Amino acid sequence: MATEKKAKLPLAEAYLVADPKKCAGCIACMLACSLVHEGVTSPSLSRIQIVQTSFKPFPEDIDIHLCRQCANPVCVKACPTGALHVDTAHGNLRVIDESACDGCRKCIEACPFQPARIVWDAGRNVCVKCDLCLDTPYWDEQGGPGGKQACVDVCPMRALAVTSKVPNQKGDEGYRVNLRNEHWEWLGFMTDQTGTPEPQK
Amino acid sequence: MICGYAGKILRLNLATREIGSIDTGQYAAWGGGHGMGSAIFWDLCRDKAVTGFDPRNVVTIMSSPLAGTLSPASSRCEVQGIGPQGYPVEWFTWSSFGGRFAAQLKYAGWDGIVIEGRSDAPVWVNIVNDCVTFESGADLWGKDTRETQQEIWGRVTSGQFNDWYEVEAGCTTQRPAVLCIGQAGERLSRIAALIHDGANAAGQGGFGGAFGAKNLKAISVMGTGGIRVADPAALMRSWLWYRANFNYNVDAPLLESPKPNSPGFYSINSSPGGAVVLKGVEPSRPYACQACPLACHRRTSSGIGDESTCMPTMWPFYTLLSAEGSEESAGGVSDAHAKALRALKLTRARYRVADMLQRCGINAYELCIADAYLLGLFSEGVLGQDKPIPCDLPFERWGSEEFKQRLIRMIVERRGIGDDLAEGNTRASVKWGRYEEDSESGLLSYPYWGYYEHYDPRIEVEWSYGSILSSRDTNDHGLNMVLYTIPRLAREAGIEPILSAEQTVEILSQKVIPYTGDPFMFDYGQGPAGIYSGNKAKTTAWARRYTLFWKDSVGYCDLVWPSFVNANAPGMLGATPEGEPRFLDAVTGQGIGFANGMEIGRRIWNLDRAIVALQGRHRDMEVFPGYVFRQPVNRPFPFPVYENGEWRFSDNLGRTLDAGKFEEWKTLYFEFEGWDPRSGWPTRGTLEELGLTHVADTLESEGRLGRG
Repeated sequence: MATEKKAKLPLAEAYLVADPKKCAGCIACMLACSLVHEGVTSPSLSRIQIVQTSFKPFPEDIDIHLCRQCANPVCVKACPTGALHVDTAHGNLRVIDESACDGCRKCIEACPFQPARIVWDAGRNVCVKCDLCLDTPYWDEQGGPGGKQACVDVCPMRALAVTSKVPNQKGDEGYRVNLRNEHWEWLGFMTDQTGTPEPQK
Repeated sequence: MICGYAGKILRLNLATREIGSIDTGQYAAWGGGHGMGSAIFWDLCRDKAVTGFDPRNVVTIMSSPLAGTLSPASSRCEVQGIGPQGYPVEWFTWSSFGGRFAAQLKYAGWDGIVIEGRSDAPVWVNIVNDCVTFESGADLWGKDTRETQQEIWGRVTSGQFNDWYEVEAGCTTQRPAVLCIGQAGERLSRIAALIHDGANAAGQGGFGGAFGAKNLKAISVMGTGGIRVADPAALMRSWLWYRANFNYNVDAPLLESPKPNSPGFYSINSSPGGAVVLKGVEPSRPYACQACPLACHRRTSSGIGDESTCMPTMWPFYTLLSAEGSEESAGGVSDAHAKALRALKLTRARYRVADMLQRCGINAYELCIADAYLLGLFSEGVLGQDKPIPCDLPFERWGSEEFKQRLIRMIVERRGIGDDLAEGNTRASVKWGRYEEDSESGLLSYPYWGYYEHYDPRIEVEWSYGSILSSRDTNDHGLNMVLYTIPRLAREAGIEPILSAEQTVEILSQKVIPYTGDPFMFDYGQGPAGIYSGNKAKTTAWARRYTLFWKDSVGYCDLVWPSFVNANAPGMLGATPEGEPRFLDAVTGQGIGFANGMEIGRRIWNLDRAIVALQGRHRDMEVFPGYVFRQPVNRPFPFPVYENGEWRFSDNLGRTLDAGKFEEWKTLYFEFEGWDPRSGWPTRGTLEELGLTHVADTLESEGRLGRG
């Protein structure tokens, strides 16, 4: 077992990425996530977390925290039961077999990001995490790599996407992408390519 | 408990510090929001003729079955009770606000809050799931709404943000949702608002003052629970259906504004970030209330004016341009860069004023009108230094940021005429001895119960009729959006109306269940089928019933619902009447159809009518001021009319309402509703038909039951 954990794990074949500057903070993604996985709408059970404040200026007012499907998933390595594992049958996603989770929360402690991308379900005493909608008992769509993701599909601003390209693993920047085009700028918002729009004449 | 509901309502007595709960199931037949609030007020406010500042006033803050779920634009929160702003009677009334408060309340396990009594000292209420505590508000008293919220956030979570915060029942990364008052509410202003986050305001009604009178500074709520949904897959399908067919596609829009950065165009194409007058002079994002795909607000890189929309931003817009713009143009603006700087300066000035309003907690609509009213009185020579109404405001700087900020400070601190204006423009006018004259001339355009006219009461009559028959400006944009706002904005944008008058009324008449098939419901002419006809009885009844159930009880926002026309949809056909019950049924599983919802709306309308009857309402009081009957419309106000065999948008210039015909219309309307045409009171037969026998019994015992 110890030898296995030291071995390099295969890379995931799909990654959720986000454009925090395009997010409007409606948290539809969070509600959809908990809905398709748990049958309830609950920000506390969402695998994606939108953290925002009304009293900081753009763009510091909103950040999107999503599971990175890390190339080196320390959460997998921290799990003492093997519940958190690499699902080689489904694109090497890092997923939790909730029936095998003993609720020790070591994966949460091991996650190097803040807030931790693994979610504590206090009602069931298990850890849950993003599986790119591989297992969604309350949604009649197929998820996982090449499938649909509830958070991506519901976002009114189209601020989330899935890519097969491994994002830069240093920090969160590799997971922050620019999904804004000329139509966004036409609305009076900025795109990073063009900077601040000129005022309307 | 039915899916969609938390199952219990929090009951707080500020005088005794008792904390109790009510089973939501007792009130489930009312839907939620307004319906539940009215029913609870009926049951718990024993003397309904008390004033808004009386400790016996019962204030309800109700969420809805859809709040906190994945339903578009459904997170409104309804506030009800005796509203101190009302004049001459402080009627039982309502206000509402968006944001995330209603959702957090449900995640904490509560469908609503009932507030009774008066605290003997400043207090705030801390709700974290089932744990509810009264906290001293002494050190929050005097703080503005932003300071208050930030302070409470820190106290509730020990300053732990941007990480999981854990309580016994679960974890959250979300900040507590706080509803609070600023200094205006503390000083018992009748135009004080309740503020949540940056600029979600329950403005009309004066409930900020009602909070102040109860010594209640704030309510904070944080929840870690969830809302059980009857059919999660159906709810997902419904959201995706709405997104695919009605939502503005920000990456590839079907109908883009003809000019870039045209905020007002959102009314036509539902584009995000549009309900603001901010030009694109600095980096910004659209910002949405919870689960709203429209996202009508914005947040900017300066942070100035963030989240403010509509009146708080339009007020400075109209007058600052003239005051500041003339100064700038005198110096000459020679190039694009200088113009950009000027626009930025003006925008920031506007939004600083909006911020000040939100932070002090003032109903922006009243300030908007006070500004113009004061200038009118100054111009007539009755207000100013050494004038009959003494005032040292610098009218030579009227319209400037300085003028506006001084005016706001005077109102908040209740200095000089600010003390009068803190009572609302109507009461100020009465105190100054101007009310009769200015209501006759229209200088003071307050046609119903101490509230501004909003839209022209001589033309958009289902709004004015509905307002005078209820208790305030109904502020219900459902019909207005398609009948007036969209055609007007298309004209201003320099494009053809997206629909002709005939197409507009045809679409409406197909969708207004249960009165479908009658396009003359939308004839705003003065002919036999027009504004004094039985058609308008149906239009008024439809608007009140829709609003009271689908909007104010189910929790939909009227910038999205009803959805009659949608520029993102094939054939421009909006989601009404399919959309409203589709989401409600997916969440609750109750199968309440659109028509059934309208019938619940009728029940709520009758209960509200019974409450104001107990407060002393009689049809003889339901009259408009003189300007409505005698001052002709002098600005184009296009609305559909049917003339000479065809539909067209008429400017309706020169229109006055006919007082006699309006009285006849009231009779016709009361008969339509099954109310006594002599008094306007509900009858026993109507109330019993609606399952309100107990209401009929009370009205009868108080001598306020309609005959017939």
